Amino acid sequence: METTTETSVERELAIDASPETVWQFLVEADKLDRWFGNQAWLDPRPGGQYRVDVIDGHIASGEFVELDPPRRLVHTFGWEAEGGQENPVPPGSSTIEIELEPSGAGTLLKFRHYGLPGPESAASHSHGWDYYLARLVVAGRGDDPGDNTGPEGM
Amino acid sequence: MEAAVKAIAAPRRRQILTLVRDGELSAGEIAAHFDVTRPAVSQHLNVLKEAGLVSERRNGTRRLYRARPEGLVELKEFLEEFWDERLSALKREAEKEEKQRGNDD
Repeated sequence: METTTETSVERELAIDASPETVWQFLVEADKLDRWFGNQAWLDPRPGGQYRVDVIDGHIASGEFVELDPPRRLVHTFGWEAEGGQENPVPPGSSTIEIELEPSGAGTLLKFRHYGLPGPESAASHSHGWDYYLARLVVAGRGDDPGDNTGPEGM
Repeated sequence: MEAAVKAIAAPRRRQILTLVRDGELSAGEIAAHFDVTRPAVSQHLNVLKEAGLVSERRNGTRRLYRARPEGLVELKEFLEEFWDERLSALKREAEKEEKQRGNDD
């Protein structure tokens, strides 16, 4: 079972590619577009900004905090306001940490997204509720068959 | 969760959920907030109810609707799926790239 606290998402993933290759997928726009969203704009240096059109105008954005290629990447994460709606998770409000460890010829990727409102806060704060709605929309559209799934599928 | 995703996909249903987030409302009260017919609102409410995102309570002849906090826990799980899907795609694309480079050498 995966371990999950109320306020973070943590995952570990073995990838049959070198840390150098994986790193490019984290900081190069054209490669980011192959797994994360439709289009990315980024300035990968500490203090540099990024924006990703994740799905159909849902824009994730934030700031690079720490880059230690090809080992460790830290950036803030949030969603830009849409249509004048109140935005519970503005850019900068949560943080994503990714660590890449060499493992044989491949990479062990450790992913952590924290600073998220948990179910409890979501239940008691309208902010959390809006937040989950926004995320669900994005996640749901990411499920579309039209999403960039490779020809070999999963 | 697929039902919840579909339920949320419509902007109107997201607006309805926001309305009943903090308190119970009847379909008529909800309809009064929008420029839509009451049957349309009822239909949206049915979709939300089937997705487990709102609960319905009878009070005399009235039916009152409210967002279900439990639905949020499920949404939290869905958020995790969001990352699982993205990270799987990252793995797939990085491995594809690595293979292609191996072939090019």
